[in-house]
Amino acid sequence: MVDCGPECEETLRRIEAFLDHELEPELRSKIEAHLSGCGPCTDRASFQQHLKDLVGSKCTEAQLPAGLQERLGQLISSAEPPGTGLPAP
Amino acid sequence: MPQTTAQDDPALRARFERDVLPMLPSLYGAAMRLTRNPTDAEDLVQETYLRAFRGFAGFQEGTNLKAWLYRILTNSYINTYRKKQREPQTVEGPDDLDEWYLFDRLGAQNVEGSAEDEVLQRIPDEDVKRALESLPENFRIPVLLADVEGFSYKEIAEIMDSPIGTVMSRLHRGRKALERALWETAKERGLVDG
Repeated sequence: MVDCGPECEETLRRIEAFLDHELEPELRSKIEAHLSGCGPCTDRASFQQHLKDLVGSKCTEAQLPAGLQERLGQLISSAEPPGTGLPAP
Repeated sequence: MPQTTAQDDPALRARFERDVLPMLPSLYGAAMRLTRNPTDAEDLVQETYLRAFRGFAGFQEGTNLKAWLYRILTNSYINTYRKKQREPQTVEGPDDLDEWYLFDRLGAQNVEGSAEDEVLQRIPDEDVKRALESLPENFRIPVLLADVEGFSYKEIAEIMDSPIGTVMSRLHRGRKALERALWETAKERGLVDG
């Protein structure tokens, strides 16, 4: 853990919400101000951001199975009449 | 007055084809991470599209279509495929939440500069997918929705029908569990000395 004081502690406690863009503007500015002056916290924040980016960029599917789009189109065009189907949530 | 459905309203059908069909690649990707195999992923996507189509008249244009679709996807997965795959419904994450599990371990590898990030980049895509898929479902779903699909906490709470606090806690635990899985992967691949 970084041990440079309560500001670091607060920053790291809120780092996920900060990187997820889920903090109120006031808190967000506070964390930003701290990060701009604290190397160890910035290293951790950027590492956490890289992890997020890694999952975001590597966990998608580049290719659809052949013909899936066409099969879906057919499924939709031949969909059963209303009342017999499964309800959407 | 009888409710209009996409089946008998050409305009609604056209709107469905225009707005919902283009989301197929991201829905299919999410279905792969949920079901972990192409056959079930395709079935899940088909079921999701069918349900969405039948319920499309009830979808309010201008509201969050993507979240609406992911809610159908997630519910369909939970109701159908989880039972089929016999996955335990609730699994706890690691107890000792080592807050900087991966950062500390990669940092101890005695490599310079931003090497922690470089190690991550060298993990093959397939391994990162397997690491995410190895997470118990109640952690995997929030991580998938937040970090792959880019949903906000509030949207995830609506999709999963859970309180925001629960979403945040599962997302946090899920990410920590993912760090452990990535570390194991990096060790197996010989990218780090474990």
